[in-house]
Amino acid sequence: MTTIAMPVSRGDGWIRRLAHPKVIVGGVMALTLAAVALFAPWLAPNDPNYQDLLATLLPPMWADGGLAQYPLGTDTLGRCVLSRVIYGCRLALLVALAAAVGTMLLGTVLGVLAGYYRGRFDRLVSGVVILWMAFPPVVFSMMLMVGLGTGVRNVILAVVLVDWTRFYRVVRSEVIVVREREYVHAAWLLGFSHLRIVLREVLPAVFPLIITLFSLQMGVAIIVEAILSFVGLSVPSDVVAWGVMLADGRDQIYHAGWNLLAPVIGIIFAVLAFNLLSDGLRVVLDPRLRKRGGDA
Amino acid sequence: MTLAFSLFARRLGSMFVTALCLSVVVFIVLRMIPSDPLAMLLPPSATQADIDAVRIELGLNGTIFEQYMVWLGRALQGDLGSSIYFREPVTALLATTLPATLELVLVSLAIALLISIPGGILLYKLEGRKGEMGADFFLVVLLSIPSFLWGIILIIVFGVMFPILPFMGRVDPSFAVPSITGFMLVDALLQGDLRALVDAFSHLILPALALALSFSPIIVRVLRSSLLETATEQYVMTARLRGQSEWNVLLRHMLKNAALPTLTLIGVQFGFLFGGTLLIELIFSFPGIGNLMVQAIKNFDLPLIQGVALVFCLMVLLINFCVDSLYVVLNPRVKTS
Repeated sequence: MTTIAMPVSRGDGWIRRLAHPKVIVGGVMALTLAAVALFAPWLAPNDPNYQDLLATLLPPMWADGGLAQYPLGTDTLGRCVLSRVIYGCRLALLVALAAAVGTMLLGTVLGVLAGYYRGRFDRLVSGVVILWMAFPPVVFSMMLMVGLGTGVRNVILAVVLVDWTRFYRVVRSEVIVVREREYVHAAWLLGFSHLRIVLREVLPAVFPLIITLFSLQMGVAIIVEAILSFVGLSVPSDVVAWGVMLADGRDQIYHAGWNLLAPVIGIIFAVLAFNLLSDGLRVVLDPRLRKRGGDA
Repeated sequence: MTLAFSLFARRLGSMFVTALCLSVVVFIVLRMIPSDPLAMLLPPSATQADIDAVRIELGLNGTIFEQYMVWLGRALQGDLGSSIYFREPVTALLATTLPATLELVLVSLAIALLISIPGGILLYKLEGRKGEMGADFFLVVLLSIPSFLWGIILIIVFGVMFPILPFMGRVDPSFAVPSITGFMLVDALLQGDLRALVDAFSHLILPALALALSFSPIIVRVLRSSLLETATEQYVMTARLRGQSEWNVLLRHMLKNAALPTLTLIGVQFGFLFGGTLLIELIFSFPGIGNLMVQAIKNFDLPLIQGVALVFCLMVLLINFCVDSLYVVLNPRVKTS
């Protein structure tokens, strides 16, 4: 255990430290996604739900028979694939952001309480976590969708209810270490309230981990949403989702395989953005991991 | 040995408790369902007496607690109820589909190890060299591709663009392999039917590869960091001082010790691999429990969802138990302490 407090450099130092290749590449990719989602109505060449039934299953514009009006071709109902990929970005990011916030809040609050106070509460919640760990996440989230019913809100809820354990486990074990640090003991001796100690002394020490996990969780949420909408358990039909595009495209895999390519690339791009960001931030924010390629 | 035995016994006991608690969770989640499962089962002309009779037969009368006790009592006798959609006992459906999934998972685990052990060593060797950055980026890219996307990509490339491998079902329907153990590869071998064996294996390649490709980057990462950790150990230095070749040190001494954390991770992440079968089996029309689960969910088949979900959990618990036991057997420090 290191007893020497790490000197924290401020200002320029932080920016220089953040300049890790993974953070830069991941950050640029994430910003691109955010821009695409935000400006979807201006970027998309067509209405994503407009059905041009005279132009179904068109190939991309550079292939034989493609039209410039539909740059990436059309699906079985004559809807513009490019526009649907662009609009699908909105749902993916919405779910990713909301689910990551939810899992972070639930997991961190429970993790801090369990790690700081220990005792019966810790045993209870950690027991629940053991149960959760035995559930394959996909099976659990699908079961929850059956119980809760479909819809964007319930997708987010399902991700939160399944994935909070990731935050809980990491935060709890870190808090257990941090609470034994000398400055926390000093705060106790000075008679500070528990709330103050948790907010001012413990949480800042756990913060880098939370940021890293947050980014990771966004990637996970995108995958879960895609899986749920792929099996038709996610959103109503008028909402554009990458997973729904995959399910539609799979039926036409023999004569229109290109329909699958756009959502596949969209999902991988989005997940990669947040994984890179998370990976880079882990190294940048945690001095202990700088030399090791450690795994949490 | 007695210590190891008492460890096993304790683990087995806690596994049973966990399984029991899990069944409660599954039960409660599925009772949150907004619609009445009976509504889908009965024709509109059913009388109140009919409805009540079916309700009692399915164990859906009384409070949730009473329902659970009825269900648990039947489950402990090996009766998980009947599927509403397939009109067959849940256990019978599980018996035919579980071996298929196990076969798929075991083959993909083997492929994952074949990929990730050399991969982990390669990444360890690249540490501090020019290629490290590129390899690291590549690994994150691989980590970002979930198994069902690998499934779709593999089907497009090896099933449609270059049609060299089959991607539908478990075996070509022209082969009639009688089910003895339920494991297609074993059954074909027992029958001495080599052509069926080859065909069944070729059907396994793509789905197993899809699962393995998403699982191996996780193993590669841990193997690399465990290797890096063992590199600073004294016995490694000693082996080097004794003049052993670098590869000899790596394979004989370091890999053996790096295997333990890797094994633990495989156990922890097994649920991930197992959950992946859900979509992989759907995409490859593979008749395993994953596909069964998707069918059950699409049809709101409560008894079946409940049974399959529990089997998924039990499998994960069982694998964790096996990994833990293996850990005790392999790790001399746990054995003697």
